[in-house]
Amino acid sequence: MGPMKRFKVRRILIEREAENDSLSKKIIEQLPNIPRERVGSNELALWEDIEEMDKDSLRLIHYKGEFLKPCPGTRRYICCGYQILNVGINCPMDCSYCFLQSYVNQPSLRLFTNLEDKLNVIGEFIDNHPERIFRIGTGEFTDSLALNYITGWTHFLLPFFSSRKNCILELKTKTSFTKDIINSRYKKRIVIAWSLNTSRIIANEEEKTASLKERIISARECQKAGFVVAFHFDPLLYYSGWENEYEEIIQLLERYIDPTSIIWISIGSFRYMPDLKWHILKRFPDTHIFDGEFITGLDGKQRYFKPIRVEMYAKLSERLKKWYDNLGIYFCMESDDVWEQSLGWSPKNSSNLSKYLDNRVRMVMPA
Amino acid sequence: MMKKNLLKSSLVNIVISDIDLTPGPFCMSFHFNLEPLKASIEKYGVINPPYLLRNPDNNFLVVAGYARLMAVIELGWHDIACHVLPDSFSLFNALLFNLNDNLIHRQFNSIEKGMILQRLTHFISTEEIVTNFMPILGIPSNKQQLELFLGLDELEERIKISIAIEQLSIRVAGLLRHIDKNDRLKINNLFTSLKWSFNQQWETIQWIKEIASREGCSINKIINSKDINEVLHNTTMNKPQKVKAIVRILKFRRFPSLSKAEKLFIKGVSNLSLPLGVKIIPPPFFEGTDYKLEVTFRKGEDLKEKLANLCNVPELKHIPDFWKGI
Repeated sequence: MGPMKRFKVRRILIEREAENDSLSKKIIEQLPNIPRERVGSNELALWEDIEEMDKDSLRLIHYKGEFLKPCPGTRRYICCGYQILNVGINCPMDCSYCFLQSYVNQPSLRLFTNLEDKLNVIGEFIDNHPERIFRIGTGEFTDSLALNYITGWTHFLLPFFSSRKNCILELKTKTSFTKDIINSRYKKRIVIAWSLNTSRIIANEEEKTASLKERIISARECQKAGFVVAFHFDPLLYYSGWENEYEEIIQLLERYIDPTSIIWISIGSFRYMPDLKWHILKRFPDTHIFDGEFITGLDGKQRYFKPIRVEMYAKLSERLKKWYDNLGIYFCMESDDVWEQSLGWSPKNSSNLSKYLDNRVRMVMPA
Repeated sequence: MMKKNLLKSSLVNIVISDIDLTPGPFCMSFHFNLEPLKASIEKYGVINPPYLLRNPDNNFLVVAGYARLMAVIELGWHDIACHVLPDSFSLFNALLFNLNDNLIHRQFNSIEKGMILQRLTHFISTEEIVTNFMPILGIPSNKQQLELFLGLDELEERIKISIAIEQLSIRVAGLLRHIDKNDRLKINNLFTSLKWSFNQQWETIQWIKEIASREGCSINKIINSKDINEVLHNTTMNKPQKVKAIVRILKFRRFPSLSKAEKLFIKGVSNLSLPLGVKIIPPPFFEGTDYKLEVTFRKGEDLKEKLANLCNVPELKHIPDFWKGI
């Protein structure tokens, strides 16, 4: 497998209201030879495009909603109080387990072109709450870096967030596309994060993403350049031999990464809304992600039977702690008793988990 | 919409061998019982003559009355009076004509609904079918359902019959489409040889598929496993008991840890010597942390006595631990 390649864009769909947005102009400049179509914002999408997600079309949209929103988390489990900066929806990579397959009801890579013009509103909001720490990420509804070479998001987001003392921006990715940020002058308050999974899962379930080694080498380069990094073991998948294969990831981390500048490592086992299963099986009929023992959780999502989650969390976190004891390990959407049984302590509630992660920010990235 | 003046036809005596009797582009009949129809025809003749369209080969296509024609053939007729629609009558109108003819006097089975939708796709857009025709057929108007019904045509005759006579759930049939032919026939056989509810079928087929995926074995091998075969050939069990036993076997194989935990919990609670009418209910799937106590009683005195007895069961403190350490 060669190094990760840039994604092919087949066409650019420009909604009329987005035509004059600064980001639209930049994107068109970046892709001068790609066919463009003007479209209305209310035009109905083709069923096939919705189903297949039309991942090779960019749709430029003048977004009318709120750009900064709290992560909805999930009810009855402990969540981290993250803020999502909604730069766009959908992703050019194709992970079998991706929740967007049932969440998104519109096709194409939807990019919000008035983001830069709205940053002042976000800045004002952050500045008006100096007592809070905003942990903000762009990697919830899309990959933070996969389309950066087209959108240039980091050119304006890095300086914007770097200059603020009560927030951090986390760029979460499965790519190795760090070339554009590595030479940036704006590294303060910026966290570059990678989702990690075993080579088997990456090969079988994470189409078009960077290999495990590419991700970790990219993280090392970012660390060397002065960025703080983070890792997300999410979704953790249970299969015969999982332990040895997750061990390989940690060995690679040990080999390439300086653990002292890791702000946090999250762990979350695979969970899904029941409806997502049918979308996934349609697009990925040979997937093995449903092989485990799933039960209905307190939030209605399917998740591994609790003793299986505890076993995975306990083994993985114990191994990570053996590498370095101060990694800021936390669980994504888990219950108090699972925290206790797996890690030996629990934040008890979402508010305390928020405080714990805010303290990690203060510790690893002092203002 | 079809106009009245398009329905002009001439009544002609047609030799049956001149009629194309393969299920043609307007046929929407599947797995019908000819006996009552034959009995009626024998007694009263064909009250409503079939409708035909002349096709370019100079024989006739059946527009409406396919079952009537099948019945008269079985009765040994040589010819039959039929309405022949004018050549200008479009194929789409012929399909709508037959649909309306059927709609007024009978219910379609699921395979027939699939046939109708399939035939409509030759003439109109998916959107039109979803919006205008699926409600008429009593199918929820969405594209997933359309796809499900259109896919029924790919299934083997035996499976189609199981669906038509409602022995096999259509949702299950949707999954069968993506399974190897021999495996799906095996599943059809399992579901039709015993009395399964549609919910049981749905749960079971998913378990079987997931076990096969996890264990890397064929569906056939799972259904042919020794323990399932023993149940199937058990002469002391009735059909519902066999279904329950197979569900239990498959559940244990699909969810070994959860099943073991449930077993341990039941065993642990049964060792507690709880007062009669007292039950301890674990959280669903042991996911939550709150257990419930259920006490059945008739009078307050009875309740007091049971609660007092309950307080004297020292092992209660072990309750959450029964299933742990699986």
